[in-house]
Amino acid sequence: MGLKPRGSEFTYQIVIFFIALVVSVSALFPLLYVVGVSLTSMPELISRNYFVIVPRHPTLGAYQRILQNPTIWNAFAISVARSTIGPVLSLVIMVLGAYVLSVRTLPGRRTLLMLIIFTMLFTGGLIPRYLVMRRLGLLNNFWVYVLPMLPDAFGLLVVKVFIENLPDGLLESAEIDGATHTQKLLFLAIPLAKPALAAVGMFAVVNHWNSWFDALVFVTRRNLHPLQMVLRNLITADNFHDAAIDILGDMTRVDTVSMRMATVVIGIIPMVMLYPFLQKYFVHGVFLGSVKE
Amino acid sequence: MRMREIVTAKKSGTQQELVSRGLWERMRRHTELYLLFLPVAVVYIVFRYWDISLGFVAVFKEMRVGQNVWASPWVGLDNFRMIFANPNVVRTIRNTIEISLLRLLFGFAPPIILAIIFHDLVWVRFKRVAQTLVYLPHFFSWVVLYGLVFALFSTGSGFINNMLAALGFQRVEFLLSTGWFRPVLIGSDIWKSMGWGSILYMAALTNVDPGLYEAAVIDGAGPLKRIRHISIPSILPVIAFVLTLTIGSILRAGGEQILIFYNEAVFEVADVIETWVVRVGLGRFQFGVGIAVGLFQSVVGLILIVIGNAASRRLAGRGIW
Repeated sequence: MGLKPRGSEFTYQIVIFFIALVVSVSALFPLLYVVGVSLTSMPELISRNYFVIVPRHPTLGAYQRILQNPTIWNAFAISVARSTIGPVLSLVIMVLGAYVLSVRTLPGRRTLLMLIIFTMLFTGGLIPRYLVMRRLGLLNNFWVYVLPMLPDAFGLLVVKVFIENLPDGLLESAEIDGATHTQKLLFLAIPLAKPALAAVGMFAVVNHWNSWFDALVFVTRRNLHPLQMVLRNLITADNFHDAAIDILGDMTRVDTVSMRMATVVIGIIPMVMLYPFLQKYFVHGVFLGSVKE
Repeated sequence: MRMREIVTAKKSGTQQELVSRGLWERMRRHTELYLLFLPVAVVYIVFRYWDISLGFVAVFKEMRVGQNVWASPWVGLDNFRMIFANPNVVRTIRNTIEISLLRLLFGFAPPIILAIIFHDLVWVRFKRVAQTLVYLPHFFSWVVLYGLVFALFSTGSGFINNMLAALGFQRVEFLLSTGWFRPVLIGSDIWKSMGWGSILYMAALTNVDPGLYEAAVIDGAGPLKRIRHISIPSILPVIAFVLTLTIGSILRAGGEQILIFYNEAVFEVADVIETWVVRVGLGRFQFGVGIAVGLFQSVVGLILIVIGNAASRRLAGRGIW
């Protein structure tokens, strides 16, 4: 805006700068602190009364102990599987629904749309969901992570609005050439809607990666638990030592404090790595278009 | 513009033609689209509408473990009566509403303030870095978030308690005391979601004509005046939007977060509908009350969101649909 730094304008800029500074430091500090402690050995922690921000003798011991463990890698594999298969199938459903509901001449279009929006406002509740999953044989089944997340009404609407806002001539010109809807969907709508699909897909990945609740409710078999569920059992344990023995089968003496923190860092790293890609999408605001409609 | 008009004119022309041929003929012409929609319909029916219809049937039945819903006897409104006869469930409803209102009270302003700050900051490079940092926690799971909270607030090794101890104060049981549970819960939620929440408001502010601000500066309006007379009015529709959604979910207090954060020591102030349904409804097979209270949540939510939408239309000129 090119404001000149003088008088009240200058004071205002200083004040908001400091607020923004405090907020960003408070966003960053816990992450740095956790990394710091996770790199500190137990003897150092004890000798410094657990009051460590920068370790004097950083060690990767806690990470080694955790990453040596097959339970963690199995959970990691489950998480990777659900975070890839889930979003891909969700996108298929979203783009099919979005394309069909963007055709204005379709009889019943409004009703179908209302029925989809309704699922965002009204749910049957957890226990009916549980009974349905039991009936479908999805308890203790990998697909319980994927299938119930396929009806993503919000994502569908985002893609639909994006398709509707494509320049008018694009989809119509194909109609004149006699293309079928399937052809138009595959060769026009999907390539053109790529930015929206990428954005929605990215967020589906985040959703899947961060999910643990479905594992808690629908899956009792531990070797089917995703990473977040295993991390949950470790991080929220009253006694980390017992939890480590129970979950990781690690019988030797555990550096509880640094290992617990290393567990948190392991939960953070994948998101931090994905973050630059995510930022590209939400900053450009594909989502905001749908909200404005 | 012109082009668009012609296209719509053409479209409505064909529509006219189609109407005269009758609904059946129009539907037949779109067979391919219905076939494409089929997988979508199946997925929504099986994983959304089945739950809903099963819930509405089962809630009027006496549910027994291992028994088919259809074979169970009808019991009328008994399950709903049991909600209000069970003091634990009543407590969870009260806690749910209290926690929701506290989240609204303390969590509503921070994203707005943050959006105005980011919008007004002239030091662009710093702004970018700050935005990157405050959006990040939104992408962490509640599991990770509890890990961070534990690192800061746990009694024996938490950073805050280490500070207190080093300064000669008593250590505080932040995570195990009923007095601290809600501040920690809501504070960490604000920490996680405030940056992300500011994006919606930012978008509204970016759409304001910069000339408006320039004119205000020329007229001698200071920063606070500009916030009051330009920024706030321009985000009012977004405020109405967010408020409507928040009010609609007043019976949802963020069960996923509480389920991770709470423990037996704080049930009294922490147990909400969602956590009760998981722990007792499902965990101890109290299916009847669990289903009833779940539907109660959904119905109340729907009613509130319809009312909120009407109010928002009247007051802010637009609703959420």
